[in-house]
Amino acid sequence: MREQQLQTILRHMPAGIATLLGPELRFGFVNEAMQSLLGGDTPEGQPLADHLGVLAADLLEVMQQVYSSGRPYVAKAYALPVAGSDPTSRRYLDVALEPLQDDEGQPQGLLLFAVDVTGQEEARQRAHELALETRRLDARLRVLTETAPQITFSIDAAGQFEYVSPQWYYFTGQPPTADVNAIWPLLIHPDDRLRVLYQSDMARSSGIGWNFEYRLRRHDGQYRWVLSRALPEHHAPDKPVFWHGAVTEVHDQRELAEALRQGEAELRFLADSIPQLIWTASAEGFIDYYNQHTAQYTGLSTQELGPTGWVNLLDPSEQAGAARRWVQCVASGEDYEGLYRMRRHDGQYRWHIIRARQLADARGPRWFGACTDVDDQHRLREVLQTQYDELARTNRDLDTFVYTASHDLKQPLFNLRGLFEELRSSATFHDPEQATLLEMVDDALLQLDGTLQELAATVQDQRELAAPTEELDLQSVAQEVLLGLRAQVEEAQATIDLDVAAAPTLVYGRANLRSVLHNLLSNALKFAHPDRPAHITISSSLSESGQPRLTVQDNGLGMTLVGSAGPSFLLFDRQHPGVAGAGVGLYLVQRIIDSRGGHLEVGSTVDQGTTFTVYWFE
Amino acid sequence: MYPKRAGRGACYQMNHIVYMSRAVRPLSDYDLQDLLAQCRRDNSLHQVTGVLFYSHGSIAQLIEGDPAVIEPLYDKISRDGRHSNVMQLVNKPIAARSFPDWSMAFHPLEAKGFATLEGFFMPSHLPPTPDTLSIADAMLIDLVRQAVFGADEPAAANLTA
Repeated sequence: MREQQLQTILRHMPAGIATLLGPELRFGFVNEAMQSLLGGDTPEGQPLADHLGVLAADLLEVMQQVYSSGRPYVAKAYALPVAGSDPTSRRYLDVALEPLQDDEGQPQGLLLFAVDVTGQEEARQRAHELALETRRLDARLRVLTETAPQITFSIDAAGQFEYVSPQWYYFTGQPPTADVNAIWPLLIHPDDRLRVLYQSDMARSSGIGWNFEYRLRRHDGQYRWVLSRALPEHHAPDKPVFWHGAVTEVHDQRELAEALRQGEAELRFLADSIPQLIWTASAEGFIDYYNQHTAQYTGLSTQELGPTGWVNLLDPSEQAGAARRWVQCVASGEDYEGLYRMRRHDGQYRWHIIRARQLADARGPRWFGACTDVDDQHRLREVLQTQYDELARTNRDLDTFVYTASHDLKQPLFNLRGLFEELRSSATFHDPEQATLLEMVDDALLQLDGTLQELAATVQDQRELAAPTEELDLQSVAQEVLLGLRAQVEEAQATIDLDVAAAPTLVYGRANLRSVLHNLLSNALKFAHPDRPAHITISSSLSESGQPRLTVQDNGLGMTLVGSAGPSFLLFDRQHPGVAGAGVGLYLVQRIIDSRGGHLEVGSTVDQGTTFTVYWFE
Repeated sequence: MYPKRAGRGACYQMNHIVYMSRAVRPLSDYDLQDLLAQCRRDNSLHQVTGVLFYSHGSIAQLIEGDPAVIEPLYDKISRDGRHSNVMQLVNKPIAARSFPDWSMAFHPLEAKGFATLEGFFMPSHLPPTPDTLSIADAMLIDLVRQAVFGADEPAAANLTA
């Protein structure tokens, strides 16, 4: 009965139990747990070698040796494939091999006892892998710590360094044997030392981290600004044990920042010193800075002016336009420029030029503006403009007077000539000298008529000086003019050569060109030599500087030139008193050419001829 | 309908505050619709009116009312976690309300359904900046509109005067 009970217990034990009998190791008792381990193929009385199942040959060999030697053996964490499942999955067993002996000590068989230790084994393997990973991470952290361009350190609650990375030695130039605790404080700049020691002590005693900058002596003796930061490591709440931190060199950044601050302060000082209204605006167009002069001029603070309040300073009639233009400029980035009246603190409006330009760089667009007081200049300009207008009006009045006078004198002259003709035909003169006198009066009357006509023409031409320019065909204009001079051409029996092929067109005022041509040609015809038929050559060409020029050459009387630069033709300056003409022609030509930015040259030999060269433009 | 309070404006001092900010996360149609409803509901109780512009994370808002109401309201708005970089542009007395009805303008992802929403405008259909504003304030609103919606949307109508 008890044996029965024992059998039942053994059969249901959660560990595998089996007996293998005889040198062939035949299956004896195999409990359920062992059967499931071996895959169920455990026929009683059959040798194990024929039904190895999942067991490996090496275990059979060990069993045989245990059997023959009689010494027990425990195979620890023996890996066994799980029967009837994924071939890679394993379970781990501690297999105890106990030799069974009879009373004489002769080997009888083996007792197999297998305990599943898969859980423990897997945990052990995991722990092993974790240890490997930890070592790897540790190595990586060390490499990172020791290659980063900063000194890392750990310090305990008492302020003793637990660890200092090799960078400390590189930076300070101290030997590896140096006592960090003793030397570090000595390397801090004397002016910073007390502050640094106090701040780090305070941080440690209150259990918080720190973050401060100080100067640390480098290996070359130079003090460099460094940033020291550390955080506490808590082992229990509120009770830090270590502080871990890093010291980074920030010397260059600090100097740069200092230079920037300095530069900005200087620029601001500069802007505040300028006696103009200077301001800056954000990308959106809101004014964010006004210089001191703005406050002085307007009597308003930056706060009172606000981001758009400047527009209130302008003359009310100009506010809407100025605001609209500013909104457009902010949208397009175009320069803002305008002339506005701006109200001073005492209520007086003064003219200002407001200019603003957008600066677009990596920091994003900003606006810089200035309002320049041009009130004095503006008023001066207004005065000058008024005077100019007055002068221009007076000039016009004079022209009108001359024109009217010449016109009004024509009628009495006409009457005079009529009366004179009447007198000559009805009266008889016996003295031959009186006949000459009559002729001289006739001539004088003719000249007076000519002068009046030319005076009227001068005023007419002056008005046309400012006429618009257009592209003109020289050939056709010259032919028109010659058509008008047909009578004179016939009288002088003149041959006219016209050659404008080298520069056939000219951009000029039409009336001006006609006037120049008319005067030069009528001049050439007028001063034709009485001994030979006139020959006039008109040619248009390009000067050395590529500008068009016109040459009018004749074979007439010629004239004496005074001075090397050639004559300047003053009004009513007669070159040939013997020839009829008012002397207005050449004066007009010179005036027209001068007013259009050109000049007139003349070459002449008495009794041979004259050459006029018109340089239309310089 | 929202009661007109312009007539009562003279009885107590009135200020307007304009600010711009950036949304921490882009606001969805639903967020904006919700915000509009909330503004119209809450602010009508305190006689606060105004306008809100939103586009691509940029927010601009004008609120007008009793400074004793809108200043604490602005403080609350500026601490709201849904936006950051809150920049107050102006806080000053005004003679009368310019936005007597609460309104809002933004580009909805789904235009459908927004057309009929009370107080909502497509940015392109936003009415011109009211001429009750001073020229300096109208310019401020036009610059704000331009900053939120870009220069393409037509701005500035009263400045053409």
